[in-house]
Amino acid sequence: MNTSLNMPFSNTETLPGSTIIQSHGVVTGSTVRAKNVFKDIGAGLKNIVGGELKAYTELLQESRNEALFRMCSEAAARGANAVVNVRFATSSVAGGASELLAYGTAVTVQ
Amino acid sequence: MDTLQLAFYILPNLAWLVSLYGPLVYQPMKKKALMEREQASVKYGSATALTTLSTPSKPDEIQAYRLLVANVVMSPSWIQIFGGWFRSLFGGRINTFSKLLEWARREAKQRLVEQLEASGFDEVINVRFETATLTKSKGREDKTTGFEILVYGTAVKY
Repeated sequence: MNTSLNMPFSNTETLPGSTIIQSHGVVTGSTVRAKNVFKDIGAGLKNIVGGELKAYTELLQESRNEALFRMCSEAAARGANAVVNVRFATSSVAGGASELLAYGTAVTVQ
Repeated sequence: MDTLQLAFYILPNLAWLVSLYGPLVYQPMKKKALMEREQASVKYGSATALTTLSTPSKPDEIQAYRLLVANVVMSPSWIQIFGGWFRSLFGGRINTFSKLLEWARREAKQRLVEQLEASGFDEVINVRFETATLTKSKGREDKTTGFEILVYGTAVKY
């Protein structure tokens, strides 16, 4: 996951062990995904006993990686070599789909 | 014909029994397994390596860092959803949901701890929790299927 584009990113305000020399502004990456009908039915069956919905856990993991990848691509397009202060947000849009958003500050570090 | 009638009599009752007693068996079983994993991490010494501070404890000796992300989607059983709806008529503490969210948060945190153990890093700084509700569309309205707990932080190696 961290090897996407080989760009270092962290959710701290500075990258440990390096200094920020230039900021390129906020970069975002988002993706909207939904599981298929059959997985939804499976999740509905799991509602009988409750507990973890593994299919959804994996879906959100994959889509979050996708969002991070897009964020890093945008940062690379701006000429940055790292992203700091990465934050995640999740919202559900209609029809059982979820939007995953990753955002952070693109910076040049030394 | 008799067996068919018997099946029609037994199956709905069986469905009731499973949905009433299933959660009471299944959920404590999973919680016990989680507790054992937590105790293993306490013995290993990594359970206390998480902090919400943004500064590492030894800032001058950092070798490497990476972002760790752990998530879990938990769904209440439909009995719990019904119980929660019933309690929300009167207001006050809704025990079933608070227990479920606490369980989900512990599970997600434990996964972060296990990722830390597997990656060989020493500490996770700037740990943040996020909670989101997942919905599915049913008819015209959206119904809650589960809650997602996300934990993330920067792992550092000294």
